[in-house]
Amino acid sequence: MAQALQIDWLGRVAYGEALRRQQELLEARRAGACGDRLLLLEHPPVVTLGRAARAEHLLTPRAALAARGVEVHEVARGGDVTWHGPGQLVGYTIVDLAARGLADAHAFLRAIEDTLIAALGALSVAAEALAGTTGVFAAGSRPPRKLASIGLGLRGWVTWHGFALNVTTDPAAFGDIVPCGLHHVAMSSVARELGAAPGAALFERARGAVASAFAERLG
Amino acid sequence: MSISVELPALGESVLEGTVARWLVKEGDRVEQDQPIVEVTTDKVDAEIPAPAAGVIEAILAAEGDVVAVGAVLARIAPAGQAAAAPPKKEAAPKAAAAALPPPPKAPAPPAPAPAPASRGSAPRATPVARKVAEEAGVDLRSLEGTGTGGRVTRGDVERARPAARPAETPAAAPAPAAAAAPRPAPERRPFTADFGHYAIQEGDKVVPMTPLRKLVAEHMVYSKLTSPHVGTVAEVDMGGVARLRAAHKERFAEAQGVPLTFLPFVVHATVRALREQPALNASVVGDAIVEKKDVHIGIAVETEKGLIVPVVRHADLLSLAGLAAAIEDLSARARTKRLSADELKGGTFTVTNPGRQGNLYGFAIINQPQVGILRMGEITKRAVVRETEAGDALVIRPVMFLALSYDHRAVDGAPANAFLFRVKELLEQAEFEL
Repeated sequence: MAQALQIDWLGRVAYGEALRRQQELLEARRAGACGDRLLLLEHPPVVTLGRAARAEHLLTPRAALAARGVEVHEVARGGDVTWHGPGQLVGYTIVDLAARGLADAHAFLRAIEDTLIAALGALSVAAEALAGTTGVFAAGSRPPRKLASIGLGLRGWVTWHGFALNVTTDPAAFGDIVPCGLHHVAMSSVARELGAAPGAALFERARGAVASAFAERLG
Repeated sequence: MSISVELPALGESVLEGTVARWLVKEGDRVEQDQPIVEVTTDKVDAEIPAPAAGVIEAILAAEGDVVAVGAVLARIAPAGQAAAAPPKKEAAPKAAAAALPPPPKAPAPPAPAPAPASRGSAPRATPVARKVAEEAGVDLRSLEGTGTGGRVTRGDVERARPAARPAETPAAAPAPAAAAAPRPAPERRPFTADFGHYAIQEGDKVVPMTPLRKLVAEHMVYSKLTSPHVGTVAEVDMGGVARLRAAHKERFAEAQGVPLTFLPFVVHATVRALREQPALNASVVGDAIVEKKDVHIGIAVETEKGLIVPVVRHADLLSLAGLAAAIEDLSARARTKRLSADELKGGTFTVTNPGRQGNLYGFAIINQPQVGILRMGEITKRAVVRETEAGDALVIRPVMFLALSYDHRAVDGAPANAFLFRVKELLEQAEFEL
């Protein structure tokens, strides 16, 4: 398991641009031209529909979203519909599972959950994974308050896509969708769980905590 | 000879996938390793690459089909032996359907008499869902299917089963007590035994519960069912505090505009003790005990409408005067119903002072999700024994019994008593800045 994981912070990147970057790295990783990578970034407002997305989980007509500058992308990842935007820490994991001896896509989902839970713990947010659903939730919250969404793409045994952690996101930003098709789940954020003011300092702390947790567990 | 493309095992817990999208058509030429089909399982979208270069001879699963691990998705004629017969486009979907394992249909009921264990009346379900349901002891008939055509999926079954991830639960051990996943708060089940009812008689006065009364009632029952309460009492000599209070009462009221009662002294001592012993400033969250970084003290206030517990936020950052002012402000507004919802939330520990008469001591019910509550008894003059230079002496002191209720899930007796003793010590030392 002595696989190196290179972690890069890309800043704010348009969804399409990040997708191209992921695909380049995905092919490079499959060809063995680079090692495992974790891209950390933030997107301008965008709604993405996974392969399992149901049309009715997009609540606002596309034209209305476009008028507000919110892009809509259909992407080859598992999962339903989600939103990305400012205040959300997005992580794309380009990881060769077979090379790590972990040829189990769902075990990797669980590993991402556990890593995010560790990172949230370092930020003093108690978080948990829930049986039967993928994602990270505020510990003990009923109905569950979701902090991070996870969805993976797999080409051969190399993963792409990854997770989106709401750090200082305005939960109202999710008003256009039924996140992940889960009607009973409320979206939350690190700032909200801490009762802290959403700000750049908190986002930076979260970025540091997530990077450290991944470096420790997958580095 | 053609090569079969099978659905690989994507994970130990993955037994089937849904064909999401074909990236190639029959007759297409593909390179080795070129993705040819996307298959989704929960939260993973897997692109299956061609195992060899060649021509897609047959596509054997249609988009939307649920296929088992190991099922053949397509056949490729390797490069060099390109398909002799050109693929028949029209026939493809039918051929695909024929090659698939037959979709599970609800079998006809075996007999008119419905045997309880019979599978005959089971609803449509995927084979995997059936297997998981059987292992978990979940009755498929109790589930509403969310899969294609209302079929019960594995996810439906897992949502219905009591606890833990499949990977963590040995299939043969459905012991609920061993569940590792966080358990939801205990549910209030109706009691099965009949403990009697009162039949209202003529002349009785019937007072319907107000919404607040109902809420208080629910919370009290919930708390008692959630936390094993333990009580412990300390006798506190309030002489020092009484002297301090008497000396500053008038000046304080004039300068601060609020009366100086005993309550802020008790809250101040409590907050200092909580800072030293955070185990009491905590909550049970799932299978963890969370010691909170902030100290927000709930103050129980009896109003005309009933019990309300407004919260003094960051009570550890306030001086005694600040505490007195905050408590006075909150209780005044609680009585005049001018509190915002936020001012009633987020307490980490509670202090209650239910009055001066008939209140030697008593044990309060924990304000969930906290783990402790302090209840002030009345302050009365008592004869107590004190050691003096001239030997033991009987003296008359103002004494208060201070009672702590704590949640034994989170706190044991020794630390709880140490905490209470520390509050007593701080009150008896009576070193407060005024």
